[in-house]
Amino acid sequence: MKVALAQISPRLGNVEKNFDLHLKYIEKAKKKNVDLLIFPELSLTGYTLKDLVGEVALSPDSNPIFDELKTASRDVSLVFGFVEEKERGLFYNSAAFLSEGKIVHIHRKVFLPTYGMFEEGKFFAQGKNFHTFSTPYGNAGMMICRDFLHYGACYLLFAGGSDIIIVISAAPGRGIQGKEAYETSRMWESMGETISLFSTAFLIYCNRVGFEDGKHFAGGSFIYNPMGKLVAKASYLDNEFLLQEINLNDIREVRKKWPYKRDDRPEIILEALKRIISKYED
Amino acid sequence: MKINEPFVEKILTAFIREELSKFNYKKGILGLSGGLDSAVCAFLAAKALKPSNVIGLIIPYGETFSKDVKDAQEFSRLLKIKSRIINISPMVDSYFSSYPTENRILKGNKMARERMSILYDFSAREKALILGTSNKTELLLGYGTIHGDMACGINPLGDLYKTQIRQLAEYLGIPEKIRKKIPSAGLWIGQTDEGEIGLPYDEIDKILYQLVDKRTSKKDIIASGFKKETVEKIISLIKNSEFKRKLPPIPKMSSRSVGHDFLFPFDWDK
Repeated sequence: MKVALAQISPRLGNVEKNFDLHLKYIEKAKKKNVDLLIFPELSLTGYTLKDLVGEVALSPDSNPIFDELKTASRDVSLVFGFVEEKERGLFYNSAAFLSEGKIVHIHRKVFLPTYGMFEEGKFFAQGKNFHTFSTPYGNAGMMICRDFLHYGACYLLFAGGSDIIIVISAAPGRGIQGKEAYETSRMWESMGETISLFSTAFLIYCNRVGFEDGKHFAGGSFIYNPMGKLVAKASYLDNEFLLQEINLNDIREVRKKWPYKRDDRPEIILEALKRIISKYED
Repeated sequence: MKINEPFVEKILTAFIREELSKFNYKKGILGLSGGLDSAVCAFLAAKALKPSNVIGLIIPYGETFSKDVKDAQEFSRLLKIKSRIINISPMVDSYFSSYPTENRILKGNKMARERMSILYDFSAREKALILGTSNKTELLLGYGTIHGDMACGINPLGDLYKTQIRQLAEYLGIPEKIRKKIPSAGLWIGQTDEGEIGLPYDEIDKILYQLVDKRTSKKDIIASGFKKETVEKIISLIKNSEFKRKLPPIPKMSSRSVGHDFLFPFDWDK
């Protein structure tokens, strides 16, 4: 299976220009016979939207841009980020998986960072679930940026049976004392290695680049295989089209050796969580 | 505190290039004082934009700092950027002949704002974006003239402490003559930053780094060996200069107000 990551820098608040940018990468992917092309978080809109959130929101069921992307997904499956108006006046930071001309799944970001330089909770409604869904390539699950740093979210995709975990991100870099990258890049890579290894699943992380209001998105998109090995890595600060062939049979092979999936007991976890929650004080 | 110099150089040149292109500028303009910060900024701009797209304005008050003027000229020749000297003494003297004062801070602030006014005028004449040169140490301490040297279009150096800029300057190969100069805002002869603040930059930056970057408490910083008075002085400088780092408050009366809940990004549609 051929996967491509579009490590791009969207234009802030301009859906039409970003749609054109998506089409450009889709053309590129088609020429290379890519099966699945992945864009970063909020790739159709840019990240630092603030009050623009309502202006750039789309309803997937009745939107010409969505229709065109659905059509494009007949040739190449797509994952991208957008602002979704699900219920009227409620806006979600969402990720769509389109394939064979249809919407396969939409994930709505659950963990909205709202501290320091982040203010997503001020502008977005919170998603409520982490689904595993079936795709032409196997079971997949999606997370958006900060979701991925909550290992409970990763566990839900593992328990749900995801063979491919896709994370789309708009992560700004921080820390300039490191070797060749922002110090925070290591945090994502460390999660990538750990979650792929212990979920025995492919972990695909697509981040963006460029500046918005001085925030510098740190790139460094990557793919880890189900053995926890890095198989592809994009540059840290530059636009890139990262193309990688992955072998889905790796999942089967590694699970023979490391039966974490077979031995998982979600019912025990669930009961234990219920007991923890029941002790919450009013 | 130590930075990865090549990585920082890459970030800052990318920032200058990207911001200018977002706002449709080809050229950058900045005030060249002959000191370290403006030299580093000019170097990064020359690298990001090509030297022919960088204008260094050397804006002295008469002959007061003729050595710095010479250093700034030499440095702009070295970088192959465009430079121009504009003497502000006629404008400043004319003002103070009407409103005389012996207060050198008033005079220094007036000069800083005169330079700002010339930079903005040339920014419009040359269609060049103003690159600021206020570093993180100055921004945090409020060691700058509001609407004077703090005014700019973008500020590439605003997240680097003075000691980090020294480190970057050495890596970039900025001439020793400029690097070893005693830091001065050039407000009057013999003025030095460290003399005026009352502390050496090395010590200020170590404390700021703990307070700001590491979020260490005042108590723990003092316990780690810094003098109580020094730490308290730095905290009070930060506290009393917050107004220089913010837009002025607007009384909120309507249902949607600038500065309160009319919230749009700087890079709107960029």
